[in-house]
Amino acid sequence: MEDALLLDGITKRFGDVVAVNDVSLRVPHGSIYGFIGPNGAGKTTTIRMIMSIFYPDAGSIRVLGSSSPEAVKDRLGYLPEEKGLYKKMKAGELVAYFGKLKGLGAAEARTRAEKLLAEFGLEDWIDKKCETLSKGMGQKVQILATLIHQPELVILDEPFAGLDPVNVQVVRDVILEMKRRGRTVIFSTHVMEQAEQICDYIFLINKGRKLLDGTIAEVRRSGDQAIVVDYEGDGVALQRLPGVRRVSDAGKTAELFLEDDADPQAILAQLVGKLTIRRFDMREPSLHEVFIRAVGGEADA
Amino acid sequence: MRRIFLVAQREYVANLRTKGFWFGIIFFPFLLTAFIVVPMLLERTKSVRRYAVIDHSGWLADAVDMRVAGGDLWEVLGAAIEKYEEGDDEYGLLPLVLQDVIPVLAELDPQQLGMFARLVVAEEFGAGDGLPENARITLEDYGPAVHTWWSMLPASEAAELSSDVSANYYVRVRPGDTTQAALNRMVTDGQIFAYFVIGEGPVAGSEGAKYVSNNLTDDDLRNWYGRRASQEVQARRMAEEDIDPRVARWIQEPLRWDMLKVTDTGEEEAIEERDQLRQWAPVAFVYLLWISVFSVSQMLMNNTVEEKSNRVIEVLLSSVSSMELLAGKIAGIAATGLSMVGSWLLVFFFFTKYLPRLLGAPPSLDLSALASDPTYILSFLAYFILGYLLYAAVLVALGSLCNTVTDAQNMMPAIMLVLLVPLMAMIPVAQDPNGAMARVLSFIPPFTPFTMMNRAAGPPALWEYAATTVLLLVSILVAWWAGAKIFRIGILLTGKPPKIREVLRWVRAPVGAVPERREA
Repeated sequence: MEDALLLDGITKRFGDVVAVNDVSLRVPHGSIYGFIGPNGAGKTTTIRMIMSIFYPDAGSIRVLGSSSPEAVKDRLGYLPEEKGLYKKMKAGELVAYFGKLKGLGAAEARTRAEKLLAEFGLEDWIDKKCETLSKGMGQKVQILATLIHQPELVILDEPFAGLDPVNVQVVRDVILEMKRRGRTVIFSTHVMEQAEQICDYIFLINKGRKLLDGTIAEVRRSGDQAIVVDYEGDGVALQRLPGVRRVSDAGKTAELFLEDDADPQAILAQLVGKLTIRRFDMREPSLHEVFIRAVGGEADA
Repeated sequence: MRRIFLVAQREYVANLRTKGFWFGIIFFPFLLTAFIVVPMLLERTKSVRRYAVIDHSGWLADAVDMRVAGGDLWEVLGAAIEKYEEGDDEYGLLPLVLQDVIPVLAELDPQQLGMFARLVVAEEFGAGDGLPENARITLEDYGPAVHTWWSMLPASEAAELSSDVSANYYVRVRPGDTTQAALNRMVTDGQIFAYFVIGEGPVAGSEGAKYVSNNLTDDDLRNWYGRRASQEVQARRMAEEDIDPRVARWIQEPLRWDMLKVTDTGEEEAIEERDQLRQWAPVAFVYLLWISVFSVSQMLMNNTVEEKSNRVIEVLLSSVSSMELLAGKIAGIAATGLSMVGSWLLVFFFFTKYLPRLLGAPPSLDLSALASDPTYILSFLAYFILGYLLYAAVLVALGSLCNTVTDAQNMMPAIMLVLLVPLMAMIPVAQDPNGAMARVLSFIPPFTPFTMMNRAAGPPALWEYAATTVLLLVSILVAWWAGAKIFRIGILLTGKPPKIREVLRWVRAPVGAVPERREA
């Protein structure tokens, strides 16, 4: 089966600024793909190109097997980062309107809209104007408007932003439900824990360039191994150890980042006697650390 | 196509739900009524001016009073003749003494009628030499009866017979104390509007003649009384110099011009009231055009800004292309505008048909025939659509650059300045529809719809219609070509509105590219 999305060396320039630089990506069918990167990294521009709101200056895009994203627009669902509703439209009408724009018949769109709103506990709001909805409800309505036509590929730009934990859970369930139905979901986020929990694949972008992509396990492995040391004594002993690239010392606990071929056992041996070691814990870095490390500490995420 | 239709449909339905739309529809009849009725009411409710006269000559004030009474009788007779000629039912309700004379008087021209009235008031029933034979006999036979009836008639009843009698406007009061000091007090107290002082020898000259009032702007009373006093004085002077009044009148008689026009077939034809109305009717349509083009294209702009500030735009753009969205919006709002304008035209038609009659205008004044004149209606609709398309292109581009409705409103004065030109040129163009100014303005595309509508009474030559329309269509295409480019980039921009130079770069850039955005 062909991939849901294939980006091949796409580049987008806004004058002198290169917003997206030679990015290639493969999103398999039925997967959940997380787009991660600091603000201004190029996530939204990439997504807009996939949605054919912008056109790439170079490279090619294949969406759902078509090289013309315009042609498959009706099979895509998109929730932009900047979300808005027609304030004066009723929630039911609004969801149905987006369904109709995606090719549903008027009656069909109406029935589906009412069913979806009811499923999400908004049956009392079907005939209420959107301006009366709370922020969380508004966002749910928008997500429903994105999903009403049962798209094969859904792109959600920051779907969790501004939601309370209950609604975060609701959106997460929606994403997982989509996957269960064999649809493909791409979403962007700043919150690494969320990506770690739901995504099959991660795409990390910074300054328009792809830094990493792959399964969660692959991405984590690509990061530095770290050792957490809880100790008592003079922390000077931790400095300038052979095989340690960087130390982050907090006084009672420190993180040691090793060089690629360093042996953790040798390091432990060097420390014993100089410090009282309470814990010496080796683990794979979290996605958060990978992220911070990869963007060189410039991220404001 | 399906998406364009959906966008247009949503736009139309959304607009139908706004209060502004219904307000626009309902407000217009009120506005129209106000335009027609308020000036009339103002004229009618203008308070009666009370004045006093100190007459040192001993005769002039009485002579003027008599002249005023003659004028009033003239108005009353004229109103009665009109009822008689129209076969109005109310004619039968008039006093019998009038019904006796009206059939004969209806044959007289206005001047002869005035003479008849003057002679009746002056009780000179045998002096009807200047009148046709049967009118002279009527004067002799019925004059005394009419005089008696008229001199006994209270001013209020006279006012009912004709709204134009002087008692409705000016009333002479006769205070017991007619010293100037006393009258000055009355002026200050507001008991009288003004008073006149007539010198001892008005025939010799104006010495001692005074007009005292505290109202410095309204000189209707002074003109009205002064004209009648002058006429009396002139009559005396002629008598003293032995000049036959008829000779004097003949000497003073100005040349009168019969107003004619040349019809399409090259014949001469008398100009009627409705011809003059026809000349002025386009002005009303220009107003209507101006209001509708302006309000409807502004609707499009506000709507664009709203979608942008609501952030709905990006979701929309994932479903429709920016050009589909733009086309849908134009169509949807054009439909809204046409609904509104259509209702206005209907209202305009019915009002011009029924309102003047309700207010007592003569039925020969057929305004509705003008309002439903196909040339006017067709030009109006055509120029509404063309004008809307031109201004909509500009305003939608502006709207796409603004983040809030306030930003957009800040740009409006510039547009208003342009739009004021055709409004200011409206009267001069109506006066000279084929003059140099009218022609020049017709060829400036932003003014073409208004100016050509304004000239519709001319009407302009066919080639002018063709040339200006081609020019306008080309401008519309250019405006949309540029406007669409600005729109597709502008609607996705947030933050500081771009500079003009930046916007021009977008216009030059090929479709699909979004040129750089340099901050500051």
